[in-house]
Amino acid sequence: MTDVIDLQIPVSADLLVLARLTAATIAAKAGFNVEEIEDLRLAVDELCLPLVRAARGGRMQLRYVSEGDSIEISCTVQATEALRAVGQDGAPEGRAEGRAEGRAEGATGAEGRGQDGAPEGRAEGHPDDTLSARILDALVDAHGRTDGDGQDRHWLRKHRASLTV
Amino acid sequence: MDQTFEITERPAAPAGPPVVEVKGEIDVATAPALRERLNAQVDAGWPTVLVDLLDVTFLDSTALGVLVGALKRCREAGGNLRVVMAEPRILKVFEITGLTDIFQIFPSVDAALQA
Repeated sequence: MTDVIDLQIPVSADLLVLARLTAATIAAKAGFNVEEIEDLRLAVDELCLPLVRAARGGRMQLRYVSEGDSIEISCTVQATEALRAVGQDGAPEGRAEGRAEGRAEGATGAEGRGQDGAPEGRAEGHPDDTLSARILDALVDAHGRTDGDGQDRHWLRKHRASLTV
Repeated sequence: MDQTFEITERPAAPAGPPVVEVKGEIDVATAPALRERLNAQVDAGWPTVLVDLLDVTFLDSTALGVLVGALKRCREAGGNLRVVMAEPRILKVFEITGLTDIFQIFPSVDAALQA
């Protein structure tokens, strides 16, 4: 049985909690144990962090696919050109500019902390990236980034431990 | 103010460093507030800072980054950062990132004060 759940939220640090809650709920429903649920809660957060940091406004799309004993979560950002009159919430309101080709996360430039958010640039960028990578390595079975259509997609996959009697 | 996050400071022992007590979730949204508070401690003349994470329910790499930054500042000031935590989930995040070797970690505020 496959469940696909999509969550779309403004790119905003204080809404990442929604991504976490959704991951935990879906993991519980899929039969993951308590520790695995908490692992996924943290993993989805770490997955989205680079996108949250790099983007300036826009909307984040998360897809949770629960299939059999595994879950795959992916995250992409649809950036808006600029913050314009909408202020902070990034709601495109009809200007679904969507993909910012070449600027995958819609980063309008480094914030001064040296982060370029480039998909390949894993080691450089934000100082916390190494911690983030280590956390993901430890908590999920696989994770990565793909760049298709100029859109940066971060994904992770985790299998639940089988119950053996 | 985020309902799932709270920082308070309480004086601990007489003439001892105050304890910065954090409750709830420390993530990219709430970590900056913690950073400010820890920096303020050092700026106020406390080179050794105690952070009580006993009631923290979630922390991510952003939170760890803030704590690492605070540790550096404390050391530069001639002191240290002592972290209090007991929840296995929270300890796990420190373990998998290798930070249990970097921080002084205590299971209780009393233990941290007596160090």
